[in-house]
Amino acid sequence: MSSAERWPVRPSAASAAQRRRLAVLRLLLGSLLLTLLARLAFVQLLDEHKPQQSAGLTHPAGIVVPAPRGAILDATGKVLVGNRTTHVLTVDRSALQQQDDHGRAVLAALAPLLHVSAADLQQEITPCGVHVPAPCWTGEPYQPVPVATDVSAAVVLAVSEHAEQFPGVAIDNQTVLDYPGGTLAAHLLGYTGAVSAADQKANAKLADSDTIGRSGLEESYDSVLRGVDGTQQVALDARGDTVGAGTLTPPVPGDSLVTSIDANVQALAENALVQQLQQQQRKGKPAPAGAVVVEDPHTGRVIAAASYPTYDPRLFVGGISSADYAKLTAPGADDPLVGRAIDGAYAPGSTFKLISSSDDVMSGAINTTDSYPCPGALNVDGRMKTNYDSESFGGPVSLQFALDVSCDTFFYAPAVAEWQADQARVDVGQKPLETMQKMAAAFGVASSPHIDLPADEQASGSIGSRENRMALWRANKADYCAAAKRGYPDISNPTDRAYLTLLASQNCTDGWRFFAGNNADTAIGQGDTTLSPLQLADAYSAMVNGGTLYSPTIGWGVLNGAGKVVRTIRPKVVRKVPVDRSYLDFFGNALHFQANHVVSGALAFDGSPIQTLIGGKTGTAEVYGKLDTSWLASWGPYQPGAPVGDSKYVVVGMIEQAGTGASAAGPMLRQVWEGLLGANGAPASAGAAPARTLPKVVPAQLSRSLLNPARTAATSPGRRPTAPPSSGLSPVLPSRATSTSPGKAKPSSSAGRR
Amino acid sequence: MTLALSRRSPLRTLADTRRLRSYDWPMLAAALALCLVGALLVWSATRTRLELAGANPETYLAKHLLNTALASALMVLASRADSRLFRLLAPVLYLGSILGLLAVFAIGTTINGAHAWIELGGGFEIQPAEFAKLGLVVALAVLFAQRATGRPDRPPTARDLAVAGLLVAVPLDLIMMQPDLGSALVLLAATFGVLVAAGVRAHWLLGLVLAGALAAVLAVKAGVLADYQLARFTAFAHPGRDLQGVAYNTTQAHIAIAHGGFFGQGLFHGAQTHGAFVPEQQTDFVFSVAGEELGFLGSAAIILLLGFLLWRGLRIATASTGAARLIAAGVVCWLGFQAFENIGMNLGLTPVTGLPLPFLSYGGSSMFAEGLALGLLQAIHRRTGR
Repeated sequence: MSSAERWPVRPSAASAAQRRRLAVLRLLLGSLLLTLLARLAFVQLLDEHKPQQSAGLTHPAGIVVPAPRGAILDATGKVLVGNRTTHVLTVDRSALQQQDDHGRAVLAALAPLLHVSAADLQQEITPCGVHVPAPCWTGEPYQPVPVATDVSAAVVLAVSEHAEQFPGVAIDNQTVLDYPGGTLAAHLLGYTGAVSAADQKANAKLADSDTIGRSGLEESYDSVLRGVDGTQQVALDARGDTVGAGTLTPPVPGDSLVTSIDANVQALAENALVQQLQQQQRKGKPAPAGAVVVEDPHTGRVIAAASYPTYDPRLFVGGISSADYAKLTAPGADDPLVGRAIDGAYAPGSTFKLISSSDDVMSGAINTTDSYPCPGALNVDGRMKTNYDSESFGGPVSLQFALDVSCDTFFYAPAVAEWQADQARVDVGQKPLETMQKMAAAFGVASSPHIDLPADEQASGSIGSRENRMALWRANKADYCAAAKRGYPDISNPTDRAYLTLLASQNCTDGWRFFAGNNADTAIGQGDTTLSPLQLADAYSAMVNGGTLYSPTIGWGVLNGAGKVVRTIRPKVVRKVPVDRSYLDFFGNALHFQANHVVSGALAFDGSPIQTLIGGKTGTAEVYGKLDTSWLASWGPYQPGAPVGDSKYVVVGMIEQAGTGASAAGPMLRQVWEGLLGANGAPASAGAAPARTLPKVVPAQLSRSLLNPARTAATSPGRRPTAPPSSGLSPVLPSRATSTSPGKAKPSSSAGRR
Repeated sequence: MTLALSRRSPLRTLADTRRLRSYDWPMLAAALALCLVGALLVWSATRTRLELAGANPETYLAKHLLNTALASALMVLASRADSRLFRLLAPVLYLGSILGLLAVFAIGTTINGAHAWIELGGGFEIQPAEFAKLGLVVALAVLFAQRATGRPDRPPTARDLAVAGLLVAVPLDLIMMQPDLGSALVLLAATFGVLVAAGVRAHWLLGLVLAGALAAVLAVKAGVLADYQLARFTAFAHPGRDLQGVAYNTTQAHIAIAHGGFFGQGLFHGAQTHGAFVPEQQTDFVFSVAGEELGFLGSAAIILLLGFLLWRGLRIATASTGAARLIAAGVVCWLGFQAFENIGMNLGLTPVTGLPLPFLSYGGSSMFAEGLALGLLQAIHRRTGR
């Protein structure tokens, strides 16, 4: 053990110099500590201008009082979407904290009433934090926490009669959207959802607790319907507990929207649609979906638009549950959120002949007096294109007859001639005229109808043309070529397999070519041409009204809380279609269901008292791999020989996978027309005509359930079941147009029809 | 830790009694008193917040007491070291702390803007910078003592200073990169203490201080400091400018202390503390709890207790020689400067740099490092006899 292993034994070793050094440190440290003491004495004892204490003071804060949304009314003033009051039970944490046991007894007494555990309640009202897992309170800590919505009268009584037992527990009257018609017009009305961060970025005025229109009229008229939130000022103490209430800035309820929808007609259309679907299904047809549109041809106002399948907008009230949302968007659910009437695009079949006829007569290829061939089959591009069931009508026929019996070959000849003239132009480097496509565009095909619904909820359709063909080929070329290479090994029938493989290989190399046969297909509403039922109604409205194409509207007027009209929404004229009125009248009269005509659409109306008041054009559109889409475009009422412009309604019906227009859409629209015109009782609309003036609305109708601005009526967000992917609904909706455009980009078109 | 090299002897019991007596009890009593007062202050600062979050309001109190117990055990272990062990341990401690600082960059977590912690799991984490303070002090002390062997009065040469400079630079740079400005300043203060005690010539010391000040100015100009560090300095210079931002913390601490008055509002009765107005109140701003709830009387007593502890430390330094004296001086300067900086920022006297108040603030790493440091002072005290 050497001495080096120990600490040096005694201080004598430290020299005087070394001790001086340590004295310096002592002095330095001592002065630092003295400085602290001096500063402490100043801050605590001597400072005459002490900073104001935060503790003990109260500071103001605001609780958002959401504005009730405005109502949506039908053309007669009936409420389509209103408000109802629901009882919400809230727990005020501030009040609980002031209890000796921090409110444990209150929660314990409350839990059995609500059929939950006290621990769950405690968890729900604890503000979310780093160490607080969900479910926790996401709102402001000082805001009363809603713990149950739609509480029963028994609970309301129990809580209010024993108020002393439940300090801090209150019953709020909260306003939520109400749908008196249930699923009626669901796709048109739309639904609301919780405000998302993106919404708040776009509009800083949105509070966390607000709801916002996410679909339908609720979305497109959101700014009208939403109103202005109010604020309840409260005083908070140092802990953030509410110690007093200040002024209330009451919310300004949203304005109400009167629509051109007639609830009776809408119900009539929806019933006819559902009943016809059921009937077709009983006949063994798939008939999974369909639509009916009722439009006022003279104003472009939509009176009814029914779509099936549909959904219940009440599911979205207070936030849709993820389970319900998953059900609505499941692959097998057939997209009930997509309104077929406006957002579905389908091959229009022979209903398109309004447009091809317009082109033919305006270009001079056909006139209304001469006769033209209507063979059972016609050789186009070396391929036999036949009439439906290869039916032949003997010798040459007139345009009227061709329209009435829907002779396809009649319309092929001018389309092929037009194509040949265009091809000659293309061959010498000129642009093709494509007059039929131009006529279609004039009738609104392949451009948005611009109805007053969200832009992504209305289909534009498409037109078979050289340009469109090229675009489709570019988009699908890789698939065609891959299929040609693979050769459909999963198809057992060798003939089918060889045909499909040949088709794919043709499409791979030449799919961009727009043949004469394609133009012939376009002329009869097949091939690459698609339309929504609404667009077809718009086109036939133009025929009825003498040539005016409208941007259709649903919104008609905006009413303030007093029921006063603050804005009238007027339909916009898109254009006059370039067709002489005499021709349009000719078409309308040619297709009148009068007895001595053989109009295909009249079949379904045989024996109906209103048969002689209606005109209509059927359509039977082939869809590759599926049963035909059944169409009927109709108008009336007008007497035989009277101007077609006397018609008050245009009604379009469509049923997917149901067969011919006369056999499915026909009977469906017969039911609608009989209801509209009162064949079996009173007409659905008073006077059997669209309403011409805005309804008189009593304010009570609008404000019957508007907020009563009591202190606790802070209509807070309510129990919002976990919304699907956070709060933003629209971004996750399925892309609509594509899912309901059967056969749009399928190789069927080049195979020709029938 | 197996530092203890207790010698077996027939007189062991007697020796143990002597050893027990040879602890610097007044110093330990002061340290323990500070720890216990710290426990009360931490409790007061955290119980409302924990309760609001639905957690056990005694969580921090329990953890603080556990930290105190562990730190005491480390103190006892360290107090059994002797000088040979020190020479052996100096490089281990120093290199170990450097490794710890490096590990922070690989597996560390960021708290309050500084990437300075290593998660241990189970809610525990260590902050290697705290141990680097100890490692550097011991390494510097052993370096200067070795160089001065046989010539106790000869001042360190320029070469000694250059080597010392290297020893300082490595942990200092690593800590600045975290960035942890407060710990870096403490390292410099501790180094200054060792240099003064080692007898570095006065004009060199002055030169070093001036060079340090110059380097600081250049660092600010060249943007070495993070924005938030500069913001803290700005907030320090202009406290009224940004009441909700950086200056909020100091402002709220100032309010709390100012309203303590002479006797304080009473433990657990501080309105500002109860209202959870002061962020980080259980760690860097624990002194504001004392200011508000214990008043001038209690706060001044805390400063005086700290002063007493430091005075006892310098006494131990004075009584010893060689590396022991330098270690004692370094530890005292470390603790002294850190206490000054921390209380200073609570009082609005120094800029906010994020440092715990020795013995009082909540925080495992700092308490453990301080326990080890106190243990070393005790070891020196015991070996130098009394």
